[in-house]
Amino acid sequence: MTKTTRRTALTGFAAGLLALTALTGASFAQSTTLTYLIPSGADGVAVAEELVKSFEAANPDINIEIETRPGGSEGDNLVKTRLATSSMADVFRYNSGSLFQAINPQQFLVDLTNEPWQADVQDSFKQVVTASDGTVRGAPMGAAMGGGIYYNKAIYAELGLTVPKTWAEFMANNEKIKAAGKVAVVQTYGDTWTSQLFVLADYYNVSAAEPDFAANYTAGTAKFATDKVAQRGFDKLQETFDAGYFNEDFGAAKYDDGLRMVASGEGAHYPMLTFATTAIVASYPDLIDNVGFFAQPGDDAAKNGLTVWMPDGIYIPNTTSNLDAAKKFVAYVASVEGCEAQTRAGGASGPYLINGCTLPADVPPAVTDMLPYFADGGQNGPALEFLSPIKGPALEQITVEVGSGIRPAADGAALYDEDVRKQAQQLGLPGW
Amino acid sequence: MSFVRNYWLSAVAIVVSAVVFLIPFSFIILMAFKDKTQAQLLDFSWPQGMHLWSNIVEVVTTRNWMLLTAFINSTILTVASVTLVVILSAMVGFVLQRRKTKFNGLIEFLILAGLMLPPAVVPTIWLLQGLGLFGKLHGLVLIEVAYSLPFSILLYRAFIATIPRELDEAAIIDGARPFDVFFRIVLPLLWPVTVTNIVVQSVAIFNDFTNPLYYLPGNANATVQLTLYNFQSQFSTSYNLLFTNIALITIPPLIVFLFFNRQIVAGMTAGAVKG
Repeated sequence: MTKTTRRTALTGFAAGLLALTALTGASFAQSTTLTYLIPSGADGVAVAEELVKSFEAANPDINIEIETRPGGSEGDNLVKTRLATSSMADVFRYNSGSLFQAINPQQFLVDLTNEPWQADVQDSFKQVVTASDGTVRGAPMGAAMGGGIYYNKAIYAELGLTVPKTWAEFMANNEKIKAAGKVAVVQTYGDTWTSQLFVLADYYNVSAAEPDFAANYTAGTAKFATDKVAQRGFDKLQETFDAGYFNEDFGAAKYDDGLRMVASGEGAHYPMLTFATTAIVASYPDLIDNVGFFAQPGDDAAKNGLTVWMPDGIYIPNTTSNLDAAKKFVAYVASVEGCEAQTRAGGASGPYLINGCTLPADVPPAVTDMLPYFADGGQNGPALEFLSPIKGPALEQITVEVGSGIRPAADGAALYDEDVRKQAQQLGLPGW
Repeated sequence: MSFVRNYWLSAVAIVVSAVVFLIPFSFIILMAFKDKTQAQLLDFSWPQGMHLWSNIVEVVTTRNWMLLTAFINSTILTVASVTLVVILSAMVGFVLQRRKTKFNGLIEFLILAGLMLPPAVVPTIWLLQGLGLFGKLHGLVLIEVAYSLPFSILLYRAFIATIPRELDEAAIIDGARPFDVFFRIVLPLLWPVTVTNIVVQSVAIFNDFTNPLYYLPGNANATVQLTLYNFQSQFSTSYNLLFTNIALITIPPLIVFLFFNRQIVAGMTAGAVKG
């Protein structure tokens, strides 16, 4: 008898749960709420929450719900899936540049060219969110990033070193650091993407010497292996390996280890993009004042400049049912109040691309070190991936090989040209 | 001496399973006790200071108590899907095994196709949108049921073959209708394979990440595996919070299994001894 009652109870429980699924499904339809999709990660979420909070204070009739998604290629798939199935959030954050082109902006995104706030957006950003028909479809979200080299100020002070302006000075510094028994250059091939920095961050030096490299590269006439200036990025990686400057565990260390090493003084230099400043502040707040930053030096001190990565954009899919509210939110993000909200939440990691936005006085030294490159008389230029649609997918594997001494630099450059050729053919570019 | 001779293999087995199961688990627990700076080292070390409670509070309250919503959603999803899978696949297995028709070959082909063909995401979403089920929990329940059915049917069909047909016939002679034969005679006899099925499918569905990610967008719809992404991104990961979250979402299934341990083992061995 008890067995039957128990079974009845179980059946009832299951039926109840099934009924509950039907109920939970029904309670979502809301009309005045915007959804805002961002990549996950505590830092990005904090910035989005602060933006939403101050926007809602200014617009009490609009309510914004933040959704998160994974980053990396899983995130790319998710964004493409949701765009293709018309289920995208009302506003979403996504990469600018070549990944922006890959989501087919003309077909899926609302044209924002004629919004009044576009007047204050810097042209360098507009060009990386412009669809192939010449319309601007996004607004900048976040600060510009530089690709260069983090250095430990304590080690520099202890050994009496100065920030290098040329590659020769940089190598001389490394020699002194190594002689003092310290790790000169931190490399972290446990996260393969970190290995590309010496090559990618060298692009300002390439463009300073050959201003039309990007155009020729896209056209298929300039190659890394045949252009001595372009090949320098691979050479530099090989030189630092050959000189034995790397940390002992460079093959297994991770990005997080690299940040720790340069912040704590276990290593003197770490080539990285400046978004890492935010991560160092979060993980090692006591050590942030030890961390400085300089652009990857070229061969000529007079042409020293910074390779710049553009921040993400925020976009509105044309399937949104709340277009006016979504446009209001985008306009808010692209305003001076928007920059201030971002700084309040995440701290400043670099200059914003909105005219009139300023940084507070107490930013970390790594950010201050970056500002001269953006000021009058400073020199900076976008990274190659913002100037040309071609970036070979295997670059990180090739740079791991070169940086581990498995393959010489010239070979690596030639192999990368081969990798790039496949990518260009896939994109259907003429001349390949 | 004979003690060593008799038990050394068991001792090795115990040591190996401890290495495989307990070390990763203790790593998770240790990480959950650390503060952010120490956790960032990702090493096997004793925590400095006691941060478990603050980690738990932060994990649970993050994103407006998302973890609680996620637990409710995951529980509903797992229980509802597993219930449906068990009932439906036992029925299909029973009919397929007992009634030979000319369609059997075709049906078996379709079941195998369900096992072998990878499901495509975008057309499935279109179908769900057409049915008005996209982004709803019961839509995802149906998807999980569909993805788990082929394997469960195969399990049931093989097991039902070992139940003598005479039992059904005796029941029919005693006046049982078809549903009585299934629910009162056959289904209770299937308990061993049902337990196996429940264990396998509920672990798979509770741990499912990609299906909820694609088919169930929205904060209100988060499942527990999706909450892991609150603390993890490409460029900045809070390992202490991530591992606290892992510990928290590992504990409920663990408790369930401890609770039902005896029934699960009993169910599985009941099947084993019979053969």
